[in-house]
Amino acid sequence: MNQFGKILRFELKYYFKNKIFVGVTVALALLIAAVMFFPRISEAMQSGETEGGETEANPIMLVQVETAEDTDMIRTAFAAAFPGYDVQVTDKSAAEVQDQITAGEAECAFIITSPTAYSYYVNTLSMYDTNTEIAGSVLQNLYRMNAMIGSGMTPEEADKAINVEIDGDVVNLGKDQFQNYFYTYIMIFALYMVILLYGQMVATNVATEKSSRAMELLITSARPTSMMFGKVVASCLAGLVQLVVVFGSAFLFYNVNKSYWADNSIVQSIFNIPVDLLVYMLIFFILGFFIYAFLYGAIGSTASKLEDINTSVMPLTFLFIIGFVVVISSISSGNVDNTIIKICSYVPFTSPMAMFARIAMSSTVAWYEIVISIGILTGSVLGIGVLCAKIYRVGVLLYGTTPKLGSVLKAVWRA
Amino acid sequence: MVTNRMKLELCNITKSFGEKQVLDGITFEAQSGKAFGLLGRNGAGKTTSIRILMDVFPPDSGEVLIDGRPIDYKKVQIGYLPEERGLYPKKLIIDQLVYFAQLKGMHRRDAVAAVDFWLERLGMSEYRNRRLDTLSKGNQQKIQLITALAHDPDIVILDEPFSGLDPVNAMLLKDVVKEQISKGKIVLFSSHQMNYIEEFCDNIAILASGKVALTGNLHDIKRNYVRDRLVVQTENPEAVKKDFGDCCTDIPGGGLMIQLADPGEKKAMMRRLVDTYDIDSVKVFEPSLNDIFVQYAGTK
Repeated sequence: MNQFGKILRFELKYYFKNKIFVGVTVALALLIAAVMFFPRISEAMQSGETEGGETEANPIMLVQVETAEDTDMIRTAFAAAFPGYDVQVTDKSAAEVQDQITAGEAECAFIITSPTAYSYYVNTLSMYDTNTEIAGSVLQNLYRMNAMIGSGMTPEEADKAINVEIDGDVVNLGKDQFQNYFYTYIMIFALYMVILLYGQMVATNVATEKSSRAMELLITSARPTSMMFGKVVASCLAGLVQLVVVFGSAFLFYNVNKSYWADNSIVQSIFNIPVDLLVYMLIFFILGFFIYAFLYGAIGSTASKLEDINTSVMPLTFLFIIGFVVVISSISSGNVDNTIIKICSYVPFTSPMAMFARIAMSSTVAWYEIVISIGILTGSVLGIGVLCAKIYRVGVLLYGTTPKLGSVLKAVWRA
Repeated sequence: MVTNRMKLELCNITKSFGEKQVLDGITFEAQSGKAFGLLGRNGAGKTTSIRILMDVFPPDSGEVLIDGRPIDYKKVQIGYLPEERGLYPKKLIIDQLVYFAQLKGMHRRDAVAAVDFWLERLGMSEYRNRRLDTLSKGNQQKIQLITALAHDPDIVILDEPFSGLDPVNAMLLKDVVKEQISKGKIVLFSSHQMNYIEEFCDNIAILASGKVALTGNLHDIKRNYVRDRLVVQTENPEAVKKDFGDCCTDIPGGGLMIQLADPGEKKAMMRRLVDTYDIDSVKVFEPSLNDIFVQYAGTK
């Protein structure tokens, strides 16, 4: 235990004195600060602009109506439906309108050939262009209104019938997946990044000690279990510190700028994480981290050269990425109770992400399922920890070519 | 920490890695206040013996004893200079030396004091706060030596301690080794540089293919060699060779070796040589450690 403490302190110092580690952490905190202060800054800049009396003009949308009698009605309806555009009626031919758009004089144009048909002209069709949908429903409403008026209704009655407002009230008895989606996604992504990055760091760290032959001394000075646990716990703490700094600064800067984010429901939902989920996050982070960091450490110990690390860790990294993809695709589809993710939530290599996603987004996770999952995970962490310390002890003294998994396990079995 | 007298014994140690038997009944003993030379060709089992002695892995059978009792690694401190040198190249020298001393059980303050003492002793104080990779190879080796000595161990294991040192540093290291011996420690030497072993070691063991080919007091080993050869220096070797025929061979580097039929005729033969030929010197052949090594550790 004494040795473990000394190794832990030495390894932690390695992280906290590492300029890259400190630099990345500070840079992330600054980036988050910049994002969180963005609405405040942009508002300040905008108000400065308005005072100067210069507002940017809206882009021009041309509307050409071939059925002359509805022109006014259509123009009014389009102007109301496209508040972001300066809607102008034109009587130029289609070819001239096209020229105007390519010349940049107007952004887009609707040429309405009949009450139920139009052509849309635009220079670059954006991925998120919803203009055609809006125009479609505007024309639909106009058509309906005309039909209603034709059958004897007054324009007011017709307008009321079309634009009737429905009062709805949602009573959610389980979880609001939309609200939980964003922070679940962010947390799983954070888990994924930290485990992958720090896991690789542990592997490289071990392989460096081995290739620099510092291992010859270490192995005769300290117990392999102390060394393994010291390294893994140190990297786990370093990862946690980084997470706390990043999320802590996000939380801090959000609260400073809270009023500026009031109308952004996504950002609000992210910062309204229930405390119990944070606790689960911590549990799954630590356990998930340990299981992978142990394995990465063991793999690092079998590599003789630093160059071998990348290929040696590939199977493990793949395993982890597959788990990540399963979980992310499940939460994106909203179906977090499918069979695959259920199985994944008990398998120790995937359960940190899968079980966390289910707890956050599903309403059907029973308490005993959580207990079983955490139980399996904890048992696996201990088992894999001991196994990896043994692999480590055998691995660090093997030089030459990277040994096959089978021969390492055989050596461990005999040791 | 160092007891007055201490005896380290390796008793009948065996060890296999997979199908390969690396150690096959290794037995030798070393005394405190004396240096012990562990010799053998590459792959003879020296490093494996040292690792078992240091409890890196257990032997398949056999025991490591201190004064007849199984060694207690909590009580007996071991310092080790591995043949494969290496520390943390990117870290400060003081940081890593203190770390290793602490891993050996020292408190931080004691560790810093001990490391500073040794840096001073080896003339390395100016490098205290430098990174290891800024030092020359010889100086890195001196830094590594501190990891073996800072915690004042009872047993000091030095694997090829002189390789890569210039003559001045070699002198310094010799002084340190003599000091450790006179302090009553068990110093275990492993080296291929036989002159150093002859200079320091009272007792040796020669390992060959995982077995002890020869062990004991170096002086006794030499004395007990059958004294049936004479080394002759003469102005006229041809005359001697002509008379003695096959019994007389050239010694590389000068002189002749005469093989006697029986050690008992030594005196008569010496007299006959001096009387008959123009002899500069004649003496009984005593093998050097190198000769002994080649005989015992060589391929059998």
